[in-house]
Amino acid sequence: MSTPIQVYEPFKAGLPKLGKYWKSLWSRRTFISEFSKSELREQHFDSVFGQLWLVINPLLLSGVYFILIVIIRGGSDSTRYVHLTATLFLFYLISNSLTGGVKSITAGQRLILNTAFPRVMLPISAVIIAIFKFVPTIFVFLIIKVVVGSEFKVEMLWAIPILLITVLLALGLAITISCINVYFRDIASFLPYLTRTLLYLSPVLYEASELDPKLRVLEIVNPLFPILDSWSSALVHGQMPEISNMLQGLAWAVGIFLIGTYFFLSREREFAVRL
Amino acid sequence: MSSLSASSPHKTHEVAVSVRNLGLTYTTAIDKRPTLKARAKALGRGSKQTRVVRALDDVNLDVNYGQVLGVIGTNGAGKSSLMRCIAGILPPSQGRIEVNGSVSTLLALGVGFNPSMSGRDNVYLGGLAAGMTRDEITGHFDEIAEFSELGDAIDAPMRTYSSGMFARLAFSVAATVRPDILIIDEALSTGDAKFKEKSLNRIKELRSDDRALILVSHAMKTLRETCNDVAWLHKGKIVQRGEPNQVIDAYQKFLDLGKSAAIDEDV
Ligand SMILES: Nc1ncnc2c1ncn2[C@@H]1O[C@H](COP(=O)(O)OP(=O)(O)OP(=O)(O)O)[C@@H](O)[C@H]1O
Ligand SMILES: [Mg+2]
Repeated sequence: MSTPIQVYEPFKAGLPKLGKYWKSLWSRRTFISEFSKSELREQHFDSVFGQLWLVINPLLLSGVYFILIVIIRGGSDSTRYVHLTATLFLFYLISNSLTGGVKSITAGQRLILNTAFPRVMLPISAVIIAIFKFVPTIFVFLIIKVVVGSEFKVEMLWAIPILLITVLLALGLAITISCINVYFRDIASFLPYLTRTLLYLSPVLYEASELDPKLRVLEIVNPLFPILDSWSSALVHGQMPEISNMLQGLAWAVGIFLIGTYFFLSREREFAVRL
Repeated sequence: MSSLSASSPHKTHEVAVSVRNLGLTYTTAIDKRPTLKARAKALGRGSKQTRVVRALDDVNLDVNYGQVLGVIGTNGAGKSSLMRCIAGILPPSQGRIEVNGSVSTLLALGVGFNPSMSGRDNVYLGGLAAGMTRDEITGHFDEIAEFSELGDAIDAPMRTYSSGMFARLAFSVAATVRPDILIIDEALSTGDAKFKEKSLNRIKELRSDDRALILVSHAMKTLRETCNDVAWLHKGKIVQRGEPNQVIDAYQKFLDLGKSAAIDEDV
């Protein structure tokens, strides 16, 4: 017999066979790209105005927050605006991954109940969509930097490893929250408060160096803090970020990714009976 | 399972699906949706939040290649649950299932999983999720579109489809892909007379020695015509299995409907 026999048995707690899981995930990579594309198309990001919106929306956001900063501090300068846009855009990569990821499993109910596939494809697609929305903001940021007359330095390339760390963190967060939402459906309604709080706890509206020493604890408990701080050092100030900062961000990202993926993979086989 | 359509031929009478002592339980929230709030409240009261439904209980079932198995039973008997277990979508709570060949389920391929996308997108995404390649789907797509007779509607969002149009597309996908094992769960019920006839003919065409067909239906007449074997499921257990007319007669007697028009009618 050449066709392999598939055996389905009650699953034991713990992970499925990772090699097999990875193979079946890899063979479906086109699903992830097609799914992201059609989601974006559905949100009209394939039209000229849709794409324009991808650029205008972050600009408007940064404008609003800049007004806030000017009013609260009674003045500001161009470096502050460059810092604000750089970190805000990266923050939205994470926040979009969370909002897209949270309902990815519960919204895919129909597919989950009728097809056998690695469920982790759904939160991964949510992160890919967030990345698609992030890419145009990179160009917006670079244009802002040129217009403001901020200097371009070779140290800015440090942004690349930081971006990779951010994507890993976004994946971990999306996978975790999509799994939690299967068991607690109201997480989706708490999420806006959660992301808003995260934004204020992160060095976006202020710079890490200005933080009151009493609040330094934020640097330790907020996974986004070291990442956004390093991002700003590289892109805004053209300095090499502190290695300890990047390592701390990497540790958070790897930790959240591993723990979230472990929970997801060991639970996903029962998603279908819980939807 | 990387491909649904391409696989070597199977010999007749070779076992396609073997189900041993299968048990399945669903855990559902007593409230409409499980929430953190409800869980927190329950902590205070110490009450349980979940209800356990035993959908399948010690089911044994063998399906061979060349067989066309009809599955009957009242609403909630566990027919769809059994099909989902065989397709590998629901992990069994007890027992063991062996599947020898590629499986395609109807309504499967996740057709229509995203109602705001077009029929075309849904066919592609469903196929990709099921593990087909883009080229394989493209190779089948024209046939699917033609068989479904949806015309331009194939590019309209699926939320604009009537339930019959929905069923047409789903059936067309399942019937076109030509897997070794085809599971059709109540797909013919919403089509109009013409499409019903067409799909019935297609099912008859699909009957072959190297394929196993499992049809779940409440249309007894169809089952008498197409199946060579029928299993009757009741409250998660197999009550009877064997020659179609015999089992269906027993089932109808059980329903106390005798040969009333309602049950023979293809609805
Ligand atoms: N997702 C689910 N969550 C909880 N319980 C479920 C779920 N799906 C089915 N059940 C329960 O499992 C039992 C069997 O359901 P199933 O859908 O398999 O019945 P069926 O034989 O297909 O019925 P029908 O003829 O109406 O299609 C029912 O009691 C049903 O309430
Ligand atoms: Mg059913």
